[in-house]
Amino acid sequence: MLKIITLMLVVTNIQAAQPVIVKTPEMEVDFTPRTANQMGSFYEARGFPKAMRDVLKQQCFITVGIQNTSNEKIWLDMSNWRFTAGGKPIKRKHRDYWKQRWQNMGVPLSKQSTFRWTLIPETLDYLPAEREGGNILLPFSDKPISITATFATGENKQGEKIVITTDKLLCAEDVEEDAE
Amino acid sequence: MKLKQTLTLLVFVLSLFSSLLLNASNSKVPFGLRHYDIGSAQNFTLNDIDGEKFELNNSKGNWVFLHFWASWCGPCREEMPAIQQLADNMKGEKFQIVMINTAEDEDTVFEFLGSINVDLNSLLDVDGLVTEVWKPRGLPTSFLIDPKGKVKYQAIGGREWGSPIYVNFLKKLLKPDDKL
Repeated sequence: MLKIITLMLVVTNIQAAQPVIVKTPEMEVDFTPRTANQMGSFYEARGFPKAMRDVLKQQCFITVGIQNTSNEKIWLDMSNWRFTAGGKPIKRKHRDYWKQRWQNMGVPLSKQSTFRWTLIPETLDYLPAEREGGNILLPFSDKPISITATFATGENKQGEKIVITTDKLLCAEDVEEDAE
Repeated sequence: MKLKQTLTLLVFVLSLFSSLLLNASNSKVPFGLRHYDIGSAQNFTLNDIDGEKFELNNSKGNWVFLHFWASWCGPCREEMPAIQQLADNMKGEKFQIVMINTAEDEDTVFEFLGSINVDLNSLLDVDGLVTEVWKPRGLPTSFLIDPKGKVKYQAIGGREWGSPIYVNFLKKLLKPDDKL
């Protein structure tokens, strides 16, 4: 009798959530969706408590890299970013939200600190050629995510604004497949 | 006679101009290092991986290279050999390298530093509280603090600290007569 062994394979859904790179003459911004397993593994390796990881696995992680390719200073201010999923506005979870949540859960300070480092800074100025980034956490959605990000430029933020948009992002999902 | 006076004046103007140019090029801050005059450095006391207590205020009289890092941060890991080179190049100078590991435990830091073959010690900011006070804008971040205890420069991200452009700049900082 043929034994049928069912294996649960967890694979990364790389087709559904590809990195997106947006280039303008002044800057380059890349967006890389991360799966729950990718982020879970990262945080597990850093000794994050299971309760914390369980919360994080439910989020839509997008790693953002920003490079200033101009000769002017460029200013990141996350309050000038807008997000939608399937055309409806969604709210990015601010680091203050996470701070409060981790405090309420009694997460050790060291883990709170490490988590904070994985987030994109709320504000940052980029000198010419500088590159920095971090993670954005959004409510998970199976609908296309669009991002519109506005950046001030110039020493005193008086320069022409740069607006970058993308509507090609999807939250990355770990797909469970049955194999026989 | 008039021609001689004109020529003398011309030589004087030219030499003044070239001297100004030379000064300007000597005082140029290398790429990736930015002026960061925020006043007095916030004092802190932390233990290093050998359990020795370190207080920042005791370093007055030296330039201090204050470096925030974590072993999970890729650029931090890549940068370590460059910091070792910097330490080698600045040996015997009034220049102190102070590394602060952000929110990792002693074993992790000890194992990591041992595994990459560097002769560097690190302070342990186990709860990340000193890091919270200093608010580096990313990891790794390095600050340069002058002998009076004033923060003067900041570098966000990894740098080739052992390369001549940085070493020469830092050695020049140690000469109080040279303006930077």
